[in-house]
Amino acid sequence: MTLSEALASEFPTYRAFFMKPPIPLLEIKELYVNYGGIQALQNIDLTVNAGEVVTLIGANGAGKSTTLRAISRLINPRSGQIVYQGRDITRRPAHEVVQLGIAHSPEGRRVLARQTVLDNLELGAYTRSNLAAVRADLDRQFEIFPRLAERRLQLAGTLSGGEQQMLAIARALMSRPKLLLLDEPSLGLAPAIVLEIFSIIRDLRATGVTILLVEQNAKLALERADRGYILEAGRITLTGQASNLLNDDLVRKAYLG
Amino acid sequence: MAGFLSTYGFLIVSMVMGALLGLSLYLPLMTGQLSLASPGFYALGGYIAAILSTQVFKVSDGLYPIGLVLLEMSIAGVVSGVLGVLVGIPALRLRGIYLAIATIAFVEVLRVLSLNLDITGGAVGIFGIPQPFLTPIEYLWIVIPLLLMSMVLLYRLERIRLGRAFTAIREDELAAGAMGIDPTYYKVLAFTLGAILAGVVGAVSAHFLNTWNARQGTFDASIVYLTSVLIGGTRTFVGPVLGGMVFTALPEVLRAIADTAGLPLWLAQFLRDGRLIIFGLLIVLGTIFFPQGLVTPDLFKRRKDRKSQS
Repeated sequence: MTLSEALASEFPTYRAFFMKPPIPLLEIKELYVNYGGIQALQNIDLTVNAGEVVTLIGANGAGKSTTLRAISRLINPRSGQIVYQGRDITRRPAHEVVQLGIAHSPEGRRVLARQTVLDNLELGAYTRSNLAAVRADLDRQFEIFPRLAERRLQLAGTLSGGEQQMLAIARALMSRPKLLLLDEPSLGLAPAIVLEIFSIIRDLRATGVTILLVEQNAKLALERADRGYILEAGRITLTGQASNLLNDDLVRKAYLG
Repeated sequence: MAGFLSTYGFLIVSMVMGALLGLSLYLPLMTGQLSLASPGFYALGGYIAAILSTQVFKVSDGLYPIGLVLLEMSIAGVVSGVLGVLVGIPALRLRGIYLAIATIAFVEVLRVLSLNLDITGGAVGIFGIPQPFLTPIEYLWIVIPLLLMSMVLLYRLERIRLGRAFTAIREDELAAGAMGIDPTYYKVLAFTLGAILAGVVGAVSAHFLNTWNARQGTFDASIVYLTSVLIGGTRTFVGPVLGGMVFTALPEVLRAIADTAGLPLWLAQFLRDGRLIIFGLLIVLGTIFFPQGLVTPDLFKRRKDRKSQS
Protein backbone atom coordinates (compact mmCIF):
# COMPACT_ATOMS: atom_id res chain seq x y z
CA MET A 1 0.00 0.00 0.00
CA THR A 2 1.42 3.38 -0.96
CA LEU A 3 1.42 6.29 1.43
CA SER A 4 -1.35 8.11 -0.38
CA GLU A 5 -3.52 5.01 -0.39
CA ALA A 6 -2.91 4.53 3.29
CA LEU A 7 -3.81 8.13 3.97
CA ALA A 8 -6.89 7.83 1.81
CA SER A 9 -8.18 4.82 3.66
CA GLU A 10 -7.45 6.46 7.00
CA PHE A 11 -8.84 9.90 6.15
CA PRO A 12 -11.68 10.03 3.61
CA THR A 13 -11.15 13.78 3.29
CA TYR A 14 -7.65 13.12 1.99
CA ARG A 15 -9.12 10.96 -0.76
CA ALA A 16 -11.62 13.64 -1.63
CA PHE A 17 -9.06 16.42 -1.94
CA PHE A 18 -5.81 14.91 -3.09
CA MET A 19 -6.54 11.80 -5.09
CA LYS A 20 -7.84 11.73 -8.64
CA PRO A 21 -11.51 10.85 -8.68
CA PRO A 22 -11.86 7.20 -9.69
CA ILE A 23 -13.12 6.51 -13.21
CA PRO A 24 -16.66 5.16 -13.12
CA LEU A 25 -16.99 1.81 -14.88
CA LEU A 26 -20.74 1.92 -14.52
CA GLU A 27 -22.94 4.89 -13.92
CA ILE A 28 -26.68 4.72 -13.45
CA LYS A 29 -28.58 7.99 -13.63
CA GLU A 30 -32.19 8.56 -12.56
CA LEU A 31 -33.25 5.02 -13.36
CA TYR A 32 -36.95 4.14 -13.18
CA VAL A 33 -38.28 0.63 -13.70
CA ASN A 34 -41.93 -0.38 -13.68
CA TYR A 35 -43.49 -3.82 -13.47
CA GLY A 36 -46.91 -3.24 -14.96
CA GLY A 37 -48.31 -0.43 -12.86
CA ILE A 38 -45.95 -0.99 -9.95
CA GLN A 39 -42.89 1.19 -9.63
CA ALA A 40 -40.04 -1.18 -8.82
CA LEU A 41 -37.23 1.37 -8.98
CA GLN A 42 -37.45 5.11 -8.53
CA ASN A 43 -34.73 7.57 -9.33
CA ILE A 44 -31.79 5.25 -8.78
CA ASP A 45 -28.35 6.86 -9.02
CA LEU A 46 -25.50 4.44 -8.63
CA THR A 47 -21.84 4.43 -9.56
CA VAL A 48 -19.37 1.57 -9.67
CA ASN A 49 -15.70 2.41 -10.17
CA ALA A 50 -13.19 0.12 -11.82
CA GLY A 51 -11.67 -2.29 -9.31
CA GLU A 52 -14.27 -1.72 -6.61
CA VAL A 53 -16.56 -4.10 -4.83
CA VAL A 54 -19.86 -2.29 -4.39
CA THR A 55 -22.74 -3.84 -2.53
CA LEU A 56 -26.42 -3.17 -2.81
CA ILE A 57 -28.32 -3.97 0.36
CA GLY A 58 -31.99 -4.03 1.12
CA ALA A 59 -34.94 -6.07 2.26
CA ASN A 60 -36.86 -8.52 0.10
CA GLY A 61 -38.58 -6.73 -2.74
CA ALA A 62 -36.61 -3.54 -2.34
CA GLY A 63 -35.50 -3.71 -5.97
CA LYS A 64 -32.00 -5.12 -5.67
CA SER A 65 -32.40 -7.85 -8.29
CA THR A 66 -34.37 -5.49 -10.49
CA THR A 67 -31.41 -3.10 -10.52
CA LEU A 68 -29.07 -5.88 -11.65
CA ARG A 69 -31.54 -7.05 -14.29
CA ALA A 70 -31.83 -3.53 -15.62
CA ILE A 71 -28.03 -3.32 -15.93
CA SER A 72 -27.72 -6.66 -17.72
CA ARG A 73 -30.72 -5.63 -19.82
CA LEU A 74 -32.92 -8.55 -18.91
CA ILE A 75 -35.65 -5.98 -18.25
CA ASN A 76 -36.39 -2.63 -19.86
CA PRO A 77 -36.15 0.50 -17.74
CA ARG A 78 -38.92 3.03 -18.12
CA SER A 79 -36.55 5.96 -18.05
CA GLY A 80 -33.08 6.92 -16.96
CA GLN A 81 -29.65 6.06 -18.22
CA ILE A 82 -27.19 3.23 -17.75
CA VAL A 83 -23.70 4.20 -18.87
CA TYR A 84 -20.96 1.58 -19.01
CA GLN A 85 -17.41 2.60 -19.92
CA GLY A 86 -18.77 5.88 -21.25
CA ARG A 87 -21.26 4.06 -23.50
CA ASP A 88 -25.00 4.34 -23.09
CA ILE A 89 -26.26 0.76 -22.81
CA THR A 90 -29.79 1.60 -21.65
CA ARG A 91 -31.37 0.24 -24.83
CA ARG A 92 -28.75 -2.30 -25.91
CA PRO A 93 -29.87 -5.97 -26.15
CA ALA A 94 -28.75 -8.31 -23.37
CA HIS A 95 -26.36 -10.36 -25.50
CA GLU A 96 -24.47 -7.23 -26.56
CA VAL A 97 -24.11 -6.18 -22.95
CA VAL A 98 -22.48 -9.54 -22.20
CA GLN A 99 -20.07 -8.96 -25.07
CA LEU A 100 -19.22 -5.53 -23.70
CA GLY A 101 -18.04 -7.22 -20.50
CA ILE A 102 -20.93 -7.31 -18.04
CA ALA A 103 -21.75 -10.75 -16.65
CA HIS A 104 -24.77 -11.48 -14.51
CA SER A 105 -24.90 -14.35 -12.06
CA PRO A 106 -28.64 -14.36 -11.44
CA GLU A 107 -30.56 -14.81 -8.22
CA GLY A 108 -31.26 -18.41 -7.36
CA ARG A 109 -28.22 -19.53 -9.36
CA ARG A 110 -30.22 -20.61 -12.43
CA VAL A 111 -27.75 -23.26 -13.53
CA LEU A 112 -29.01 -25.54 -16.31
CA ALA A 113 -29.84 -28.56 -14.20
CA ARG A 114 -30.00 -31.10 -17.01
CA GLN A 115 -26.62 -30.17 -18.45
CA THR A 116 -23.18 -31.03 -17.20
CA VAL A 117 -20.97 -28.63 -15.30
CA LEU A 118 -18.77 -28.41 -18.37
CA ASP A 119 -21.72 -27.59 -20.65
CA ASN A 120 -22.86 -24.88 -18.29
CA LEU A 121 -19.43 -23.31 -18.27
CA GLU A 122 -19.07 -23.51 -22.03
CA LEU A 123 -22.46 -21.84 -22.44
CA GLY A 124 -21.18 -19.04 -20.23
CA ALA A 125 -18.65 -18.31 -22.98
CA TYR A 126 -21.35 -18.35 -25.64
CA THR A 127 -20.56 -14.88 -26.96
CA ARG A 128 -16.84 -15.60 -27.37
CA SER A 129 -15.32 -17.08 -30.50
CA ASN A 130 -11.66 -17.50 -29.52
CA LEU A 131 -11.75 -21.16 -28.51
CA ALA A 132 -8.20 -21.32 -27.20
CA ALA A 133 -8.87 -18.42 -24.85
CA VAL A 134 -12.13 -20.03 -23.74
CA ARG A 135 -10.29 -23.26 -22.96
CA ALA A 136 -7.72 -21.34 -20.93
CA ASP A 137 -10.50 -19.63 -19.00
CA LEU A 138 -12.15 -22.98 -18.40
CA ASP A 139 -8.95 -24.22 -16.78
CA ARG A 140 -8.78 -21.06 -14.75
CA GLN A 141 -12.30 -21.60 -13.38
CA PHE A 142 -11.32 -25.13 -12.38
CA GLU A 143 -8.33 -23.68 -10.53
CA ILE A 144 -10.50 -21.17 -8.69
CA PHE A 145 -13.23 -23.75 -8.04
CA PRO A 146 -11.49 -27.14 -7.65
CA ARG A 147 -14.80 -28.70 -6.61
CA LEU A 148 -16.20 -27.99 -10.05
CA ALA A 149 -13.20 -29.65 -11.67
CA GLU A 150 -13.98 -32.87 -9.79
CA ARG A 151 -17.58 -32.73 -10.97
CA ARG A 152 -17.11 -31.46 -14.48
CA LEU A 153 -19.12 -34.24 -16.14
CA GLN A 154 -21.82 -34.35 -13.48
CA LEU A 155 -25.23 -32.86 -14.23
CA ALA A 156 -25.50 -29.42 -12.65
CA GLY A 157 -28.78 -30.38 -11.00
CA THR A 158 -27.00 -32.99 -8.90
CA LEU A 159 -24.59 -30.49 -7.34
CA SER A 160 -25.06 -29.18 -3.82
CA GLY A 161 -26.37 -25.65 -3.38
CA GLY A 162 -22.92 -24.25 -2.70
CA GLU A 163 -21.45 -25.99 -5.72
CA GLN A 164 -24.28 -24.68 -7.88
CA GLN A 165 -23.53 -21.18 -6.67
CA MET A 166 -19.87 -21.67 -7.52
CA LEU A 167 -20.92 -22.90 -10.94
CA ALA A 168 -23.14 -19.86 -11.43
CA ILE A 169 -20.23 -17.55 -10.60
CA ALA A 170 -17.78 -19.52 -12.73
CA ARG A 171 -20.23 -19.52 -15.61
CA ALA A 172 -20.54 -15.74 -15.39
CA LEU A 173 -16.75 -15.44 -15.35
CA MET A 174 -16.53 -17.50 -18.55
CA SER A 175 -17.61 -14.47 -20.56
CA ARG A 176 -14.47 -12.77 -19.17
CA PRO A 177 -16.34 -9.84 -17.66
CA LYS A 178 -14.97 -6.53 -16.48
CA LEU A 179 -18.05 -6.08 -14.32
CA LEU A 180 -19.60 -9.01 -12.48
CA LEU A 181 -23.14 -8.66 -11.18
CA LEU A 182 -23.62 -11.10 -8.33
CA ASP A 183 -27.15 -11.62 -7.11
CA GLU A 184 -27.50 -13.11 -3.62
CA PRO A 185 -24.61 -15.57 -3.71
CA SER A 186 -25.35 -16.56 -0.09
CA LEU A 187 -28.99 -17.46 -0.75
CA GLY A 188 -29.96 -20.68 0.99
CA LEU A 189 -26.41 -21.78 1.73
CA ALA A 190 -24.83 -23.06 4.93
CA PRO A 191 -22.71 -20.45 6.77
CA ALA A 192 -19.45 -22.28 6.11
CA ILE A 193 -20.14 -22.37 2.37
CA VAL A 194 -21.14 -18.71 2.42
CA LEU A 195 -17.75 -17.83 3.87
CA GLU A 196 -16.03 -19.93 1.23
CA ILE A 197 -17.92 -18.15 -1.52
CA PHE A 198 -17.13 -14.74 -0.08
CA SER A 199 -13.46 -15.55 0.14
CA ILE A 200 -13.59 -16.47 -3.55
CA ILE A 201 -15.29 -13.15 -4.27
CA ARG A 202 -12.43 -11.43 -2.51
CA ASP A 203 -9.89 -13.37 -4.61
CA LEU A 204 -11.76 -12.41 -7.77
CA ARG A 205 -11.36 -8.79 -6.97
CA ALA A 206 -7.58 -9.27 -6.91
CA THR A 207 -7.77 -10.48 -10.51
CA GLY A 208 -9.18 -7.12 -11.55
CA VAL A 209 -12.87 -7.93 -11.82
CA THR A 210 -15.16 -5.19 -10.60
CA ILE A 211 -18.08 -6.54 -8.61
CA LEU A 212 -21.55 -5.26 -7.92
CA LEU A 213 -22.88 -7.48 -5.18
CA VAL A 214 -26.49 -7.77 -4.12
CA GLU A 215 -26.94 -9.31 -0.69
CA GLN A 216 -29.38 -9.82 2.10
CA ASN A 217 -26.56 -10.73 4.44
CA ALA A 218 -25.72 -7.07 5.01
CA LYS A 219 -22.98 -7.55 7.57
CA LEU A 220 -20.95 -9.93 5.47
CA ALA A 221 -21.43 -7.88 2.32
CA LEU A 222 -20.44 -4.60 3.97
CA GLU A 223 -17.39 -6.22 5.54
CA ARG A 224 -16.20 -7.36 2.12
CA ALA A 225 -17.18 -4.32 0.03
CA ASP A 226 -15.63 -0.89 -0.53
CA ARG A 227 -18.86 0.99 -0.77
CA GLY A 228 -22.49 0.26 -0.25
CA TYR A 229 -25.94 1.43 -1.24
CA ILE A 230 -29.03 0.87 0.86
CA LEU A 231 -32.16 0.28 -1.15
CA GLU A 232 -35.61 0.66 0.39
CA ALA A 233 -38.84 0.22 -1.54
CA GLY A 234 -37.21 1.03 -4.86
CA ARG A 235 -35.23 4.08 -3.70
CA ILE A 236 -31.67 4.51 -2.55
CA THR A 237 -31.88 5.86 0.97
CA LEU A 238 -28.26 5.79 2.00
CA THR A 239 -24.86 5.40 0.43
CA GLY A 240 -21.28 5.60 1.56
CA GLN A 241 -18.09 3.77 2.41
CA ALA A 242 -18.90 0.25 3.50
CA SER A 243 -17.08 0.71 6.80
CA ASN A 244 -19.14 3.81 7.58
CA LEU A 245 -22.35 2.05 6.74
CA LEU A 246 -21.39 -0.81 9.02
CA ASN A 247 -21.19 1.66 11.88
CA ASP A 248 -24.23 3.68 10.91
CA ASP A 249 -26.92 3.49 13.58
CA LEU A 250 -29.83 3.31 11.17
CA VAL A 251 -28.19 0.56 9.14
CA ARG A 252 -27.26 -1.37 12.25
CA LYS A 253 -30.78 -1.21 13.51
CA ALA A 254 -32.46 -2.12 10.23
CA TYR A 255 -30.10 -4.69 8.73
CA LEU A 256 -27.47 -5.83 11.16
CA GLY A 257 -29.73 -6.67 14.09
CA MET B 1 -43.99 -58.21 -51.09
CA ALA B 2 -45.48 -56.39 -54.05
CA GLY B 3 -48.92 -57.07 -52.62
CA PHE B 4 -47.93 -55.75 -49.24
CA LEU B 5 -46.47 -52.59 -50.73
CA SER B 6 -49.50 -51.88 -52.87
CA THR B 7 -51.83 -52.40 -49.90
CA TYR B 8 -49.79 -50.49 -47.35
CA GLY B 9 -47.78 -48.13 -49.59
CA PHE B 10 -50.12 -45.27 -48.86
CA LEU B 11 -49.86 -45.84 -45.13
CA ILE B 12 -46.07 -46.17 -45.16
CA VAL B 13 -45.60 -42.87 -46.99
CA SER B 14 -48.11 -41.23 -44.63
CA MET B 15 -46.11 -42.52 -41.69
CA VAL B 16 -42.90 -40.98 -42.98
CA MET B 17 -44.73 -37.69 -43.52
CA GLY B 18 -46.09 -37.99 -39.99
CA ALA B 19 -42.54 -38.33 -38.74
CA LEU B 20 -41.54 -35.20 -40.66
CA LEU B 21 -44.45 -33.22 -39.26
CA GLY B 22 -43.59 -34.47 -35.79
CA LEU B 23 -40.11 -33.02 -36.35
CA SER B 24 -41.56 -29.71 -37.51
CA LEU B 25 -43.38 -29.47 -34.17
CA TYR B 26 -40.29 -30.62 -32.31
CA LEU B 27 -38.09 -27.82 -33.69
CA PRO B 28 -39.82 -24.94 -31.86
CA LEU B 29 -40.11 -27.23 -28.85
CA MET B 30 -36.31 -27.41 -28.76
CA THR B 31 -36.41 -23.83 -27.52
CA GLY B 32 -39.31 -24.62 -25.20
CA GLN B 33 -41.97 -23.15 -27.47
CA LEU B 34 -45.20 -25.14 -27.62
CA SER B 35 -46.28 -24.16 -31.12
CA LEU B 36 -49.15 -25.84 -32.93
CA ALA B 37 -48.61 -23.86 -36.12
CA SER B 38 -47.11 -26.70 -38.17
CA PRO B 39 -50.40 -27.86 -39.76
CA GLY B 40 -50.97 -24.29 -40.94
CA PHE B 41 -47.67 -24.22 -42.79
CA TYR B 42 -48.36 -27.75 -44.01
CA ALA B 43 -51.65 -26.57 -45.50
CA LEU B 44 -49.95 -23.54 -47.01
CA GLY B 45 -47.24 -25.66 -48.63
CA GLY B 46 -49.92 -27.97 -50.01
CA TYR B 47 -51.87 -25.11 -51.58
CA ILE B 48 -48.69 -23.70 -53.10
CA ALA B 49 -47.89 -27.05 -54.74
CA ALA B 50 -51.51 -27.60 -55.79
CA ILE B 51 -51.87 -24.18 -57.37
CA LEU B 52 -48.48 -24.27 -59.07
CA SER B 53 -48.94 -27.74 -60.52
CA THR B 54 -52.53 -27.31 -61.72
CA GLN B 55 -52.51 -23.69 -62.84
CA VAL B 56 -48.95 -22.57 -63.51
CA PHE B 57 -46.87 -25.46 -64.78
CA LYS B 58 -49.70 -27.42 -66.49
CA VAL B 59 -47.95 -30.57 -67.59
CA SER B 60 -50.62 -32.47 -69.52
CA ASP B 61 -49.00 -35.59 -70.94
CA GLY B 62 -47.47 -38.42 -68.97
CA LEU B 63 -46.10 -38.32 -65.45
CA TYR B 64 -45.52 -35.00 -63.76
CA PRO B 65 -41.76 -34.28 -63.69
CA ILE B 66 -40.13 -34.82 -60.29
CA GLY B 67 -37.97 -31.74 -60.87
CA LEU B 68 -41.07 -29.59 -60.73
CA VAL B 69 -42.18 -31.27 -57.50
CA LEU B 70 -38.81 -30.42 -56.00
CA LEU B 71 -39.17 -26.85 -57.25
CA GLU B 72 -42.61 -26.60 -55.65
CA MET B 73 -41.18 -27.97 -52.41
CA SER B 74 -38.49 -25.29 -52.46
CA ILE B 75 -40.99 -22.53 -53.15
CA ALA B 76 -43.28 -23.85 -50.41
CA GLY B 77 -40.31 -23.92 -48.03
CA VAL B 78 -39.29 -20.35 -48.82
CA VAL B 79 -42.83 -18.96 -48.52
CA SER B 80 -43.44 -20.86 -45.27
CA GLY B 81 -40.10 -19.62 -43.94
CA VAL B 82 -40.92 -15.99 -44.70
CA LEU B 83 -44.38 -16.34 -43.17
CA GLY B 84 -42.77 -18.17 -40.24
CA VAL B 85 -40.55 -15.17 -39.49
CA LEU B 86 -43.47 -12.74 -39.87
CA VAL B 87 -45.73 -14.78 -37.58
CA GLY B 88 -42.92 -15.86 -35.25
CA ILE B 89 -41.62 -12.44 -34.27
CA PRO B 90 -44.88 -11.26 -32.69
CA ALA B 91 -46.16 -14.72 -31.63
CA LEU B 92 -43.03 -15.75 -29.76
CA ARG B 93 -43.47 -12.92 -27.31
CA LEU B 94 -46.11 -15.24 -25.89
CA ARG B 95 -45.24 -18.17 -23.71
CA GLY B 96 -46.56 -21.62 -22.94
CA ILE B 97 -50.26 -22.07 -23.38
CA TYR B 98 -50.74 -18.56 -24.81
CA LEU B 99 -48.40 -19.32 -27.67
CA ALA B 100 -50.26 -22.58 -28.27
CA ILE B 101 -53.54 -20.68 -28.45
CA ALA B 102 -52.10 -18.04 -30.78
CA THR B 103 -50.76 -20.70 -33.13
CA ILE B 104 -54.10 -22.52 -33.13
CA ALA B 105 -55.65 -19.20 -34.13
CA PHE B 106 -53.08 -18.89 -36.92
CA VAL B 107 -54.03 -22.32 -38.25
CA GLU B 108 -57.71 -21.36 -38.12
CA VAL B 109 -57.09 -18.09 -39.96
CA LEU B 110 -55.38 -19.98 -42.77
CA ARG B 111 -58.22 -22.50 -42.88
CA VAL B 112 -60.92 -19.86 -43.11
CA LEU B 113 -58.92 -17.99 -45.76
CA SER B 114 -58.56 -21.13 -47.85
CA LEU B 115 -62.28 -21.79 -47.54
CA ASN B 116 -63.13 -18.36 -48.88
CA LEU B 117 -60.53 -17.55 -51.48
CA ASP B 118 -61.05 -18.33 -55.15
CA ILE B 119 -57.49 -19.35 -55.79
CA THR B 120 -57.71 -22.16 -53.22
CA GLY B 121 -60.94 -23.47 -54.68
CA GLY B 122 -63.10 -22.57 -51.70
CA ALA B 123 -64.71 -25.43 -49.82
CA VAL B 124 -64.24 -27.81 -52.72
CA GLY B 125 -60.51 -27.32 -52.81
CA ILE B 126 -58.17 -28.20 -55.60
CA PHE B 127 -58.16 -31.59 -57.21
CA GLY B 128 -56.60 -33.51 -60.01
CA ILE B 129 -53.17 -32.59 -58.73
CA PRO B 130 -50.82 -34.33 -61.19
CA GLN B 131 -48.90 -37.40 -60.13
CA PRO B 132 -45.14 -37.75 -60.51
CA PHE B 133 -45.33 -41.50 -59.74
CA LEU B 134 -47.50 -44.44 -60.74
CA THR B 135 -47.97 -45.89 -57.25
CA PRO B 136 -48.13 -44.26 -53.82
CA ILE B 137 -45.18 -46.23 -52.46
CA GLU B 138 -42.83 -44.52 -54.93
CA TYR B 139 -43.29 -41.28 -53.00
CA LEU B 140 -40.77 -42.79 -50.64
CA TRP B 141 -38.14 -41.63 -53.16
CA ILE B 142 -38.93 -38.10 -52.02
CA VAL B 143 -39.96 -38.42 -48.39
CA ILE B 144 -37.28 -40.87 -47.20
CA PRO B 145 -34.36 -38.65 -48.32
CA LEU B 146 -36.20 -35.69 -46.81
CA LEU B 147 -36.59 -37.51 -43.51
CA LEU B 148 -32.96 -38.67 -43.48
CA MET B 149 -31.76 -35.16 -44.27
CA SER B 150 -33.87 -33.66 -41.50
CA MET B 151 -32.69 -36.29 -39.03
CA VAL B 152 -29.03 -35.77 -39.88
CA LEU B 153 -29.49 -32.01 -39.56
CA LEU B 154 -31.19 -32.40 -36.19
CA TYR B 155 -28.58 -34.89 -35.01
CA ARG B 156 -25.90 -32.32 -35.82
CA LEU B 157 -27.98 -29.47 -34.44
CA GLU B 158 -28.30 -31.09 -31.04
CA ARG B 159 -24.52 -31.18 -30.82
CA ILE B 160 -23.38 -27.77 -32.06
CA ARG B 161 -23.44 -24.30 -30.53
CA LEU B 162 -26.81 -23.48 -32.04
CA GLY B 163 -28.48 -26.53 -30.52
CA ARG B 164 -26.95 -25.79 -27.16
CA ALA B 165 -28.39 -22.30 -27.29
CA PHE B 166 -31.79 -23.88 -28.04
CA THR B 167 -31.48 -26.18 -25.04
CA ALA B 168 -30.30 -23.40 -22.75
CA ILE B 169 -33.35 -21.32 -23.71
CA ARG B 170 -35.67 -24.28 -23.13
CA GLU B 171 -34.23 -24.92 -19.69
CA ASP B 172 -34.02 -21.33 -18.46
CA GLU B 173 -34.66 -18.40 -20.72
CA LEU B 174 -33.54 -15.83 -18.19
CA ALA B 175 -30.27 -17.63 -17.50
CA ALA B 176 -29.71 -18.01 -21.24
CA GLY B 177 -30.23 -14.28 -21.67
CA ALA B 178 -27.78 -13.59 -18.86
CA MET B 179 -25.20 -15.72 -20.69
CA GLY B 180 -25.50 -13.57 -23.78
CA ILE B 181 -27.79 -15.82 -25.80
CA ASP B 182 -30.46 -13.79 -27.59
CA PRO B 183 -33.63 -15.81 -26.85
CA THR B 184 -35.87 -14.03 -29.36
CA TYR B 185 -33.50 -14.67 -32.25
CA TYR B 186 -33.16 -18.39 -31.56
CA LYS B 187 -36.84 -18.88 -30.82
CA VAL B 188 -37.83 -17.28 -34.12
CA LEU B 189 -35.13 -19.33 -35.88
CA ALA B 190 -36.40 -22.63 -34.43
CA PHE B 191 -40.00 -21.69 -35.19
CA THR B 192 -39.08 -20.78 -38.77
CA LEU B 193 -37.15 -24.01 -39.35
CA GLY B 194 -40.24 -25.90 -38.19
CA ALA B 195 -42.41 -23.83 -40.54
CA ILE B 196 -40.13 -24.51 -43.53
CA LEU B 197 -40.17 -28.25 -42.89
CA ALA B 198 -43.97 -28.32 -42.56
CA GLY B 199 -44.37 -26.31 -45.76
CA VAL B 200 -42.08 -28.63 -47.72
CA VAL B 201 -43.94 -31.70 -46.47
CA GLY B 202 -47.24 -30.07 -47.40
CA ALA B 203 -46.04 -29.61 -50.98
CA VAL B 204 -45.27 -33.32 -51.33
CA SER B 205 -48.47 -34.24 -49.58
CA ALA B 206 -50.60 -32.32 -52.07
CA HIS B 207 -49.33 -34.50 -54.92
CA PHE B 208 -49.51 -37.58 -52.79
CA LEU B 209 -53.15 -37.05 -51.84
CA ASN B 210 -54.04 -35.87 -55.34
CA THR B 211 -56.46 -33.35 -53.83
CA TRP B 212 -56.04 -30.47 -51.41
CA ASN B 213 -58.71 -28.64 -49.45
CA ALA B 214 -59.39 -26.84 -46.19
CA ARG B 215 -59.59 -30.13 -44.33
CA GLN B 216 -55.83 -30.58 -44.66
CA GLY B 217 -53.79 -29.27 -41.80
CA THR B 218 -56.49 -28.36 -39.33
CA PHE B 219 -56.60 -28.21 -35.57
CA ASP B 220 -57.24 -31.98 -35.53
CA ALA B 221 -53.88 -32.48 -37.17
CA SER B 222 -52.25 -30.23 -34.57
CA ILE B 223 -53.49 -32.60 -31.88
CA VAL B 224 -52.25 -35.68 -33.70
CA TYR B 225 -48.75 -34.27 -34.13
CA LEU B 226 -48.71 -32.86 -30.65
CA THR B 227 -49.48 -36.38 -29.41
CA SER B 228 -46.68 -37.87 -31.45
CA VAL B 229 -44.16 -35.39 -30.07
CA LEU B 230 -45.34 -35.48 -26.46
CA ILE B 231 -45.64 -39.26 -26.31
CA GLY B 232 -42.73 -39.97 -28.62
CA GLY B 233 -40.36 -37.79 -26.70
CA THR B 234 -39.50 -34.12 -26.41
CA ARG B 235 -35.82 -34.43 -25.55
CA THR B 236 -34.40 -36.06 -28.65
CA PHE B 237 -35.48 -35.91 -32.28
CA VAL B 238 -35.88 -39.70 -32.37
CA GLY B 239 -39.02 -39.36 -30.25
CA PRO B 240 -41.04 -37.27 -32.70
CA VAL B 241 -39.89 -39.43 -35.63
CA LEU B 242 -41.11 -42.65 -34.02
CA GLY B 243 -44.13 -40.92 -32.52
CA GLY B 244 -45.10 -39.42 -35.86
CA MET B 245 -44.94 -42.85 -37.52
CA VAL B 246 -46.82 -44.69 -34.80
CA PHE B 247 -49.58 -42.14 -34.40
CA THR B 248 -50.10 -41.82 -38.14
CA ALA B 249 -50.57 -45.57 -38.31
CA LEU B 250 -52.64 -45.82 -35.13
CA PRO B 251 -56.04 -44.90 -36.67
CA GLU B 252 -55.53 -47.61 -39.30
CA VAL B 253 -54.67 -50.12 -36.60
CA LEU B 254 -57.73 -49.10 -34.61
CA ARG B 255 -59.85 -49.48 -37.73
CA ALA B 256 -58.49 -53.00 -38.22
CA ILE B 257 -59.30 -53.85 -34.61
CA ALA B 258 -62.78 -52.41 -35.03
CA ASP B 259 -63.35 -54.78 -37.95
CA THR B 260 -62.73 -57.90 -35.88
CA ALA B 261 -65.88 -59.91 -35.55
CA GLY B 262 -67.79 -60.10 -32.30
CA LEU B 263 -66.96 -56.62 -30.97
CA PRO B 264 -69.90 -54.72 -29.49
CA LEU B 265 -71.11 -52.15 -31.99
CA TRP B 266 -70.43 -49.10 -29.75
CA LEU B 267 -66.84 -50.17 -29.19
CA ALA B 268 -66.23 -50.71 -32.89
CA GLN B 269 -67.77 -47.31 -33.57
CA PHE B 270 -65.56 -45.70 -30.91
CA LEU B 271 -62.41 -47.29 -32.32
CA ARG B 272 -63.29 -45.99 -35.77
CA ASP B 273 -64.36 -42.43 -34.91
CA GLY B 274 -62.97 -41.78 -31.45
CA ARG B 275 -59.49 -41.08 -32.77
CA LEU B 276 -59.23 -37.59 -31.25
CA ILE B 277 -60.63 -38.77 -27.92
CA ILE B 278 -57.99 -41.49 -27.80
CA PHE B 279 -55.23 -39.04 -28.74
CA GLY B 280 -56.42 -36.57 -26.11
CA LEU B 281 -56.43 -39.33 -23.52
CA LEU B 282 -52.92 -40.35 -24.53
CA ILE B 283 -51.66 -36.76 -24.15
CA VAL B 284 -53.08 -36.56 -20.64
CA LEU B 285 -51.77 -39.96 -19.56
CA GLY B 286 -48.45 -39.42 -21.31
CA THR B 287 -47.74 -36.09 -19.66
CA ILE B 288 -48.54 -37.59 -16.28
CA PHE B 289 -46.57 -40.83 -16.55
CA PHE B 290 -43.93 -39.97 -19.17
CA PRO B 291 -43.33 -36.24 -18.89
CA GLN B 292 -40.38 -36.46 -21.27
CA GLY B 293 -42.04 -38.91 -23.64
CA LEU B 294 -41.19 -42.53 -24.24
CA VAL B 295 -37.93 -42.00 -26.11
CA THR B 296 -35.49 -40.09 -23.90
CA PRO B 297 -31.78 -39.36 -24.37
CA ASP B 298 -31.06 -41.62 -21.35
CA LEU B 299 -32.33 -44.54 -23.35
CA PHE B 300 -29.36 -44.23 -25.70
CA LYS B 301 -26.94 -43.47 -22.92
CA ARG B 302 -27.86 -46.55 -20.97
CA ARG B 303 -27.44 -48.71 -24.02
CA LYS B 304 -24.00 -47.22 -24.60
CA ASP B 305 -23.05 -47.82 -20.98
CA ARG B 306 -24.18 -51.39 -21.25
CA LYS B 307 -22.04 -51.87 -24.33
CA SER B 308 -18.96 -50.45 -22.66
CA GLN B 309 -19.47 -52.68 -19.64
CA SER B 310 -19.82 -55.92 -21.52
